[in-house]
Formats: sequence, C-alpha cells, structure tokens
Amino acid sequence: MRPGLLSDIFELTGEHLVLVFSATAIAIAIGVPAGILLTRRAEWRAPVLGIANILQTIPSLALFGFLIPIPLIGGIGPRTAIVALVLYALLPILRNTLTGILSVDAAVRESAVAMGMTASQILRQVEMPLAARTIFAGIRVATVATIGTATIAAAIGGGGLGVFIFRGVASVDTVQILAGAVPAALMALISDGGLGWIERKFAA
Amino acid sequence: MDRTKICSLILLAVMLAGCGKAKKPILVGSKNFTEQVVLGEIIAQHLENRLHRKIERRLNLGGTLLSYQALQDGEVSLYPEYTGTIEAEILKETPSPDPEQVYERSRLELLRQAQIEVLKPLGIDNRFVMVVRSDEANRDHLTTLSEAARVKPGWKLGVGYEFEQRTDGLPALSMYHLPMSAPPRAMDLGLLYKALDQGQVTMIAANATDGPLASPGRTVLEDDKKAFGSYQACIMLREDMIGEEPRLVPALNQLSGKFTNAAMRKMDAEVDVDHRQPSEVATEFLKQVGLK
Repeated sequence: MRPGLLSDIFELTGEHLVLVFSATAIAIAIGVPAGILLTRRAEWRAPVLGIANILQTIPSLALFGFLIPIPLIGGIGPRTAIVALVLYALLPILRNTLTGILSVDAAVRESAVAMGMTASQILRQVEMPLAARTIFAGIRVATVATIGTATIAAAIGGGGLGVFIFRGVASVDTVQILAGAVPAALMALISDGGLGWIERKFAA
Repeated sequence: MDRTKICSLILLAVMLAGCGKAKKPILVGSKNFTEQVVLGEIIAQHLENRLHRKIERRLNLGGTLLSYQALQDGEVSLYPEYTGTIEAEILKETPSPDPEQVYERSRLELLRQAQIEVLKPLGIDNRFVMVVRSDEANRDHLTTLSEAARVKPGWKLGVGYEFEQRTDGLPALSMYHLPMSAPPRAMDLGLLYKALDQGQVTMIAANATDGPLASPGRTVLEDDKKAFGSYQACIMLREDMIGEEPRLVPALNQLSGKFTNAAMRKMDAEVDVDHRQPSEVATEFLKQVGLK
C-alpha cells in the first residue's frame, strides 16, 4: 500500500458520506412533502414529475455549468455538488411518495372519513403508515444511487471518493481508480442492506 | 467428400482470399478531446489526398492508456501524442521544459521499448499554462508568473486533476512560491474557465492550445522560470507500417512544423465554441498550409 493512501481513503470516504447524507436528507425533506402535495393536486402531477424527469437527464457537467454562476447555491465546492445530487435524488422519492399514497385502498380512506377523521388525521394515521414501505423503497433507491453519483462532486472541487477516480483517470493509475471505486461500492452495498433491513421492519 | 478435403478446400479459399486482399489498412487514431479529433482528421485527410488509398478513422479513443494500447496492439497504425505525455504517462518520468530533450528521449525510448516511431513535431507545444483574467492582469500589470507571485497576496487556484497529479504540474508550480489564500481546487477541465470567468478562482492551470485562450478576456502568464515540461504534439507510428507503405512517412512528415499553438487554439475554438465539424476545420487547415 502506498504511503498516505489509507488516510486519504478515510478522509475522502468521510467527505463522500457527508455529501450523500446531506443530499439525501434534503431530497427527502423536499421530495416527501412535495409528493404528498401532488396527491392532493392532480393537475400538478404531470408538470412536476416531468420536471423531475428532465432533471435526471441533464448531464452533471452541464448542470454544474449552470450552477457555477448562481449565488448562494452555486459556485465551486461541495455545496454546488450537493445541490446537483439533491436534484438527481428527487425523482425516486417524489414518485414513490405519490404512488404509495395513491395506492392506499379507497375503501380504507372512505371508512376513515366515515369515522369522522380530518384530512390531516387521515394523512398521518392512515395514508402515511400504509404508504411508508413504498416511500421508504424510494428513499433506499435514491440513497444508493446518490452514493454512486456523488463521485461527480470531484468534477467541481466538491471532494469525496470521486477525487480518486478523477485522479486515477487523469494519471492513468488503476490503483487510485480502485481506491475510489471499491469504497464507494462497499458503501452502496452496506447502505442498501441496512436500508433494506429497516424497510422490512416497516412491513412487519 | 471427406473431412480432409473440405478442410484443405477451406484452407485454400482462405489463402486465396489473403492473396487477393489489398494492403493492410491504415488506421488513424486519436484520443477523445477536440484537439485530438481535429488532428486525427487532418492526418487522415492528408493521407487520403497523398496516398489515394482507404484510410480508416478510429478517432475519439478514451485517453492515453487506451490509445497507446490500441497502437501497441495494431488496432490503430498511428495517432497524435504529446511528448510530455509520453514521458509522464508511458515512461513515467518528469517531462523537462526543454522541447528537444523531451522529444529525443521519447523517440529513443519508444523505438527501443515498443517499436514505435515518434515522428518530427507538428509544431504545437501544448504545455501547462497558468491563466488569469485579462482585466486583472492589466490592472496589476502582470505578464509573468514571477510578477504574479510578487504582486498579489492571495491567489485562488483552480486546476485539473492531471495538473494536480503530475510531477510537472502542481509541484513544478511551487517553484514560484505563489501566495495562495486557499488550497488549490481540483475540478473538471471543462469547468475551469467558467470558474475563472465567474471569479470563483483567480488563476487556473490550463493547456496552451485550449480553445478558450483564443479569446482576449484571458491572459496566459509567462512561465519565466521554465517550470513546466514540454508537450509537443507528434505522430506516433507503428514501425511495421513503414515497410507496409513506403510513401507513409514522407507524407506524414509534410505535416511537421505546419502547426502553431495559435492556429491550434483557433481550430479548437471553432469546434468547441462555434460548433463546426472537425472534418470541415481540418480541410480548411490543409488548404491554408498549402497541402491541398
């Protein structure tokens, strides 16, 4: 093992975790409420999902190009990277929240109404618990995908394991590429397993 | 008919086909960025004009590692490469600032190690350059890196990963003791100029023939201490192709010395900024230098 490589791996893995955690947390904070809102506003569904879909297809470098000049959320560094990652993570969370709640059986909802529950009671006590597993599956997909996508943060000075990959590609150095790819893959496997375990708890 | 007969017939057919087949194709390669594609086009079109035989293009190969591997395996017959890159990535040495020295060493080593000819330089030296915004350069009267180190207290540096990683990049720059207000930020090459224009960084490490340098808004600071290695573009050719087509080397040598950094910048900008086809830009270049 090269000197300094191990400490670099720890440092960049730490940065990577911060990127992934912040981006997914923000994406959940935006995506779940927005998804709930869309269940109440049928006419907004097509445009909002359309925008989320388009966001997914913008290549990261082009997105960074747009973001650099924007004050507060732009510039270079981890902040811009997180903004881009949030935009990419939004779609699965938004879509699963929407589908989860919409697929709650109409009969269940009607009996809740018949029992005299208010709209917010129905949401919190009936719809959300029944939709939880689907919503959580969306969060799980978004998290694992973000772990992979977060390597692009290195393209804009945002750090993370992508730094190894960019360095390795630039200097034709397989060791560095693996030093970035292997920890990222492990992180993805561990979080997929962990979140899958929590997901099954929801089902129980 | 028994099996032996069938086999010998097939064998005969294969041999006949082999005899009837024309000469080995000439496969022109290039790496996957604008300048390389333009150079590949220029080489391919020039050979078509001179040799009147089919030239196959294998442009846009992913990076030095892949292109060089393809050259070694005969998947491409030739491709343009930079002497400094040969030195840094293939020979794993630090390129010297002296163009002659880097060229001679690359040429001898590749011939010895891999039976690959490095032909005479095309005329481009695509070395690392440090770039600042022209308004800033004019305000502080900066023309050289030494002046930049003296005049301004805190530079914010943006660099590509190649510059960050290579011994002739960031470590070579340290010769100037440039005062910096933040550690250098490494990012994608394509975003460097944007970050400079937006003032996110105040100096970037770029390459001498980058298209964006053709614009007057950016100033290259002179490397007055000769810190950066030389990266002359040369055609790398498999030795076995020389016997295959005797007119090949003389034709390729006609291109040597025909280029300048300024002309290359202009061509890069025409493709990247004006979105013209590399093949069109290449044809125009060949006309301009009187090769068509």
